[in-house]
Amino acid sequence: MTSEEFNVELYWSAIEIANGLLTGSVIGGYYAMISIGLAMTFGVMRLVNLAHGDFIIVGAYISVVLLNFLPISPFFTLIIVVPIMFCIGYFLQRVLLNHVSVQAMERKGLSSNYGLMAPILVTFGLGIFISHLLLGIFDSDARQLTNSLAFSAIRLSDDLNISLLRFIFFGIGIVILIVLHLYLNKTHAGRAIRAASDDADISPLMGINTAHVYGIALGISMAIAGAAGVMIGMIRTFQPFDGPQFLLIAFGAVIIGGLGSVVGSLVGGILLGITQVLAGTYFGPSAQLVGGYMLILFVLAFKPTGLFSR
Amino acid sequence: MSISESKQGFFAEPGRDGKRPLLTISGLSAYYSELRALYDLEFQVMPGEVLAIIGANGAGKSTMLKSMVGMMNRGKTAHITGTIDMRGRRLERLTTEKIVDAGVTMVPEGRRLFPRLTVEENLLTGAYLARCREKMNDNLEGIYDMFPRLAERRKQVVNLMSGGEQQMVAIGRALMSEPKVVLFDELSLGLAPAVVDGIYEKVKQINAAGVTCIVIEQDMKRALRVSNHVLVLLEGAVVLEGNPNNLDQDQVTAAYFGSDNERTGI
Repeated sequence: MTSEEFNVELYWSAIEIANGLLTGSVIGGYYAMISIGLAMTFGVMRLVNLAHGDFIIVGAYISVVLLNFLPISPFFTLIIVVPIMFCIGYFLQRVLLNHVSVQAMERKGLSSNYGLMAPILVTFGLGIFISHLLLGIFDSDARQLTNSLAFSAIRLSDDLNISLLRFIFFGIGIVILIVLHLYLNKTHAGRAIRAASDDADISPLMGINTAHVYGIALGISMAIAGAAGVMIGMIRTFQPFDGPQFLLIAFGAVIIGGLGSVVGSLVGGILLGITQVLAGTYFGPSAQLVGGYMLILFVLAFKPTGLFSR
Repeated sequence: MSISESKQGFFAEPGRDGKRPLLTISGLSAYYSELRALYDLEFQVMPGEVLAIIGANGAGKSTMLKSMVGMMNRGKTAHITGTIDMRGRRLERLTTEKIVDAGVTMVPEGRRLFPRLTVEENLLTGAYLARCREKMNDNLEGIYDMFPRLAERRKQVVNLMSGGEQQMVAIGRALMSEPKVVLFDELSLGLAPAVVDGIYEKVKQINAAGVTCIVIEQDMKRALRVSNHVLVLLEGAVVLEGNPNNLDQDQVTAAYFGSDNERTGI
């Protein structure tokens, strides 16, 4: 091998790694969007929402409906999708999940263990219901939220590009994360959500209406999920039964990042994204998912509470 | 029929000491499912006093305080009957949030802080109600003046603190809701005697600022020392009530253990 051949080889290896890190990071931002909502309900409220992925898809379909009679960019449908999803989340918590919580079970004179299990079963059933409802309304055709930016890329050098949309979503993901972090830590409502999650029996002594505060928390989680759904729809096609695959991504990011940490879900998402892209680059496309799961198993084995847990 | 006889207490006439009561409790009973824990309690809480509740384990002291802040309205598992009147406002049907908004709050047994929140965040949750937010920062400074230790540790997560410090946070958190009445449930639980002295100093200070205090205290002598008025509970009923200066130790002890001849002699 001449030194020139060696240099070319080195250049391409470097490009490969740089590309993996960049694309992985940007995908990670989008994974974070998928998982922030779950991190919040799972980490803060201790609610395992197995319908999280399905609600992401609901957000995408609401956008589809809006685009049917509004000739606007999918970006602007967020203005309507986000409040609708917030309301869905709020009412879901108040009319359904608050009635199967630990406190509700105690009120009914049942063991609080039912309250830990029941929301898991309820959201599991809800996920199945939602995907079939979507199938009934929209058929199984793959949909996409067509937009002018889908094929644009940011060109960093001759051989390094990143998708413009993914980059934008990365930015939006970080903004949402910062806003959510400030909300949870610096506002009365945010502290109330955390207080109610820490001790729901005592938080009413602070004047906190636990049912309302939990409703707001799931509302926020759903609003972010809806926004993630619109973004997913702009990047790729989706179908009614795609929810669970996003749920898996979200769980992955949350496990890696740490159960109690919303910020951890961004880092978890980025690590998951980078691992998947690099695994795909070096071991072929089929290794992408396996690589991601290996990372999750690795974290579970060596730091089961996640990298950012307190 | 000792219990029904004693349900009225010794000072049932309205307006003890010629003052208008802040809280008037009548016919208060509490139930855990089928089990009855309180029997027709009748008593008054005067504005600005320290009312001590004493009684053996299981006498219903904690249940009584929980009833007063709406924590016994829990559907099938727990409920109350009777009335709790706060100057014309009926508290017994209100939710805990509304009762706290009306000005009655509790420092719960075992402190029950929010473990994942910092000292300052715990205190600020106490100011969640809209009416408490305006003077929130002043009140926070007031609490830091009262407990300088908390000011030093305001950024610390509470579950790393000592029991005494946690009790300070719990008291401060309750004060942040600008209460008229604070119920203190077993302040001394699990604390060293020297620490307890310090905590009761603060209760005195809080009371001097015009806050009515109701304390549950295991230590009978301490309860008699800190209070203006004492209620002795036995098996869910008031068996003795009075000004601690007018009650002698034997009388209280007898009521506490239920060995009073007048009660058992029938």
